[in-house]
Amino acid sequence: MEEKPLKARTKSLSPNDSVKSSSKSDIRNLWTKATLSQPKLNVLTNVCDDSDQEDSSSRSKSGQWYRRKTCPERAWEKRDDRKKGSITQGELDGHALEQEQSPSSFQKNHVEGVQDSGELDSSVSSVNVLKHTHHRAYWAEQQDRLPLPLMELMVNEALEILTKARRSYRSAFGKDHFLTHQLQGQIEDLEKQRNGRQQVPEP
Amino acid sequence: MKLKTGSFLWCLYLDKLYCLLSVRNVRALVEYFGLLDPHHLSTMNDMMFYHFLHHVTNCNRKQITSVFNMLDWEAAGAISFDQFYMLVCILLAHENHLEEQFIFRHSRPVFELLDLDGALRIGAESFEKYDFLFNIKKHNLREFYQDFDITGDCLLNYKEFKLFTIFTMDKYQEKQKAENKKEEQKALLEKEYATQS
Repeated sequence: MEEKPLKARTKSLSPNDSVKSSSKSDIRNLWTKATLSQPKLNVLTNVCDDSDQEDSSSRSKSGQWYRRKTCPERAWEKRDDRKKGSITQGELDGHALEQEQSPSSFQKNHVEGVQDSGELDSSVSSVNVLKHTHHRAYWAEQQDRLPLPLMELMVNEALEILTKARRSYRSAFGKDHFLTHQLQGQIEDLEKQRNGRQQVPEP
Repeated sequence: MKLKTGSFLWCLYLDKLYCLLSVRNVRALVEYFGLLDPHHLSTMNDMMFYHFLHHVTNCNRKQITSVFNMLDWEAAGAISFDQFYMLVCILLAHENHLEEQFIFRHSRPVFELLDLDGALRIGAESFEKYDFLFNIKKHNLREFYQDFDITGDCLLNYKEFKLFTIFTMDKYQEKQKAENKKEEQKALLEKEYATQS
């Protein structure tokens, strides 16, 4: 069989409400609540879902699955179509949470917007713009990441699996084999990642 | 076969209608797959696969080996993300009792997975071998052979398999309706009893 049979057509879905009891769904609540608390951010999910409906059988490498959703082509087209010139407060608000932009380009664009808005009347409105800008940039960045509790769960589980696999590697390939070294390296990296997250910075 | 409660896969969920993961779930799965790829080849070898499945499910060694052989359709000794994604969807469908729906929605990929020798025909042996994944019951298959085995060779080609999936889906939906009706009647009775008392 040479075909890659599965076509991963994805859709935005409603939460699974049938099987799991509420007492066991803490992590899942964190996962869904992270987006529910920012209703406007759902725009990103829908946009990404729409832009990502492709046939998975055309992809042979796992790296192709993961595309950064922050810079689809449409966003660049939209930005080009926008009038260059003064950007009013209303326009900034109207484009609230343009999640399609990457954080760096987003900030750059808004810095340019702020520079162009020398025509804004009061310093208060420019402060509001900056506050709004940072706030939006923060949420834009958050959209790009997986929730921390989920990351922690993934890393802990991966560590357990890799540690068990290390025993098999050592018995099958030996301690000095390069595959065993690579596995050991991955385990050390994940442990550093986990320990780094657990350390609380001193005030 | 059961998924370990509290594991990462246990947190994912399938869309009930299409029996696939959402983009966000797939993104998380990609990250997870990357964590389990120490050699940075975007693949998972048989040893890693065994430890992964042994950790997240209660499958035994024989079952894990048969699943790996089923997924490694290129006989490369490792599976890529496509096959991993397929496996996760199958596991979640089984966990959430959506096997009939999954097979109905993805009859072609499932047929190709079960057709291990590439003969474009699958028999009762294949179903028995992967009963722990797809939950295809013997009595359903026997009924089906009586009514729909057009070629009469007790092997299913793709069209016959597709008919079989429609047949099991109909049965599943009838069963769901009957259960819902039963629950409604029970609720009505309880309500009447409550009002009378």
